[in-house]
Amino acid sequence: MDFTLIVVLVIALALVFDFTNGFHDTANAMATPIATGAMRPKVAVGLAAVLNLVGAFLSTEVAKTVSGGIIREGDGGVQITPEIIFAGLIGAIVWNLITWLRGLPSSSSHALFGGLIGAAIIGIGFHSVDYNVVLAKVILPALIAPLTVGVVAFIATRLAYFITRRDTGRADGRGGFRYAQIFSSSLVALSHGTNDAQKTMGVITLTLIAGGVQSVGSGPQLWVIVVCALAIAIGTYTGGWRIIRTMGRGLTDVKPAQGFAAETSTAATILASSQLGFALSTTQVASGSVIGSGLGRRGATVRWGMAGQIALGWVLTLPASAIMGAFAAGFALLGPVGIVIDLLLGSLVVALLFRRAQRSRISHDNLHDIDDAGRVVKIRKTPRKIARRDRKRVAL
Amino acid sequence: MIDWAAFVVVAGASLLGSVVVVSLYSLGLRLLTSAGRALVVDPQSFTGAITILTPKRAAKEAKRARKTASANPLTVVQKRLALVGAYSCFVLCVGAALYGVYLIVPALHR
Repeated sequence: MDFTLIVVLVIALALVFDFTNGFHDTANAMATPIATGAMRPKVAVGLAAVLNLVGAFLSTEVAKTVSGGIIREGDGGVQITPEIIFAGLIGAIVWNLITWLRGLPSSSSHALFGGLIGAAIIGIGFHSVDYNVVLAKVILPALIAPLTVGVVAFIATRLAYFITRRDTGRADGRGGFRYAQIFSSSLVALSHGTNDAQKTMGVITLTLIAGGVQSVGSGPQLWVIVVCALAIAIGTYTGGWRIIRTMGRGLTDVKPAQGFAAETSTAATILASSQLGFALSTTQVASGSVIGSGLGRRGATVRWGMAGQIALGWVLTLPASAIMGAFAAGFALLGPVGIVIDLLLGSLVVALLFRRAQRSRISHDNLHDIDDAGRVVKIRKTPRKIARRDRKRVAL
Repeated sequence: MIDWAAFVVVAGASLLGSVVVVSLYSLGLRLLTSAGRALVVDPQSFTGAITILTPKRAAKEAKRARKTASANPLTVVQKRLALVGAYSCFVLCVGAALYGVYLIVPALHR
């Protein structure tokens, strides 16, 4: 097989991954405004797509190592080949589609890291992965981030309700949070485009350098930026109805004040972490803040079963995509024949998943017909007693 | 190897940012309501997550807003002050959002 052919293949796969990334992550920004009725689903998804496209162009600073030092590539380290990136991408894409089919919010970045780690371990050896970096940059943030953002969203929600409280019988103006939601969710979408499109640009640039097409140490070329931006935007627009269902409806009934608090916490956490050079998963942050803000409402209780299911998806993502990446790498090592086997197996799995998805198709038209996912946060209706007591309170 | 301080900084910064923005916007809404201009924003579409808002219920909401506006204990000056306060809160919120965009784009601060 020609060396440049594998480069072309990897670029195509990277774009497919970028597409599934957008497809998978629409819900992070747009589930809550859709759930509160701040925006129509079509408008929300369209806005998310545009902002992802814009976001991809805003920042072109790609980290020198795409995996953030997880794989010891570069000077004095191991030599990463296009075949390994190829295998890692196949693992990441397959896992992204499986979680999409199950309607679980799982992290696309973790799928990419997992796929690359698995492929590197099989393709090069155990020494190729820096496990300290995996622990510090992937596993610990994955445990801590959803908890901290949950606490932040909880406090923000309590504050929003506390400040806007009125004696009953009078308007509290909380519907006004719907306007704010348009902006807060846009900020989440924009930062997503900036962060996640960068990862694919990094993968493609790394491949071009490994393939000898581009000089070492140079940034992504303009066409790479353009195609990555387009892939993530199209993916965002096309997808995510299943996950929107889990997050905006399956997770918790979202009220405007709560949705705004959740989105603000998500945006603040993503911005703070990327500003301090800290890789966080957008999906985990968004899920954590939706749960935290739900708990901030009066009479909220947790549905632990659903929460456990989501946590399981997070825990599984890294090892599962690593195993898939490892399998793909095992074949890829056989040479051209292995690459063809990989491609065929990969497309077979993807085709099977799509066929299963077709059987229970969910679009924005029948979004509210299906209800199988439980909700993490159960909200009790406000008891009348409390309402009567509140009436005596004199508000400003 | 593990940078615990970074975790603390991220948590602190996101808590501060969210609390400031959410408080400002909520305060803006509160002052707007006090000024007799409670916002009534009906949902754009009906998903499973929101209670279906019938036209009757929507009319009731609007009536509530009018009632709140008419039965307002504040004087004209106080109302005007509340309105100014509300708009200042919203402007500060917009400022915070723009700062967020500024943080996203490295070209602006490097």
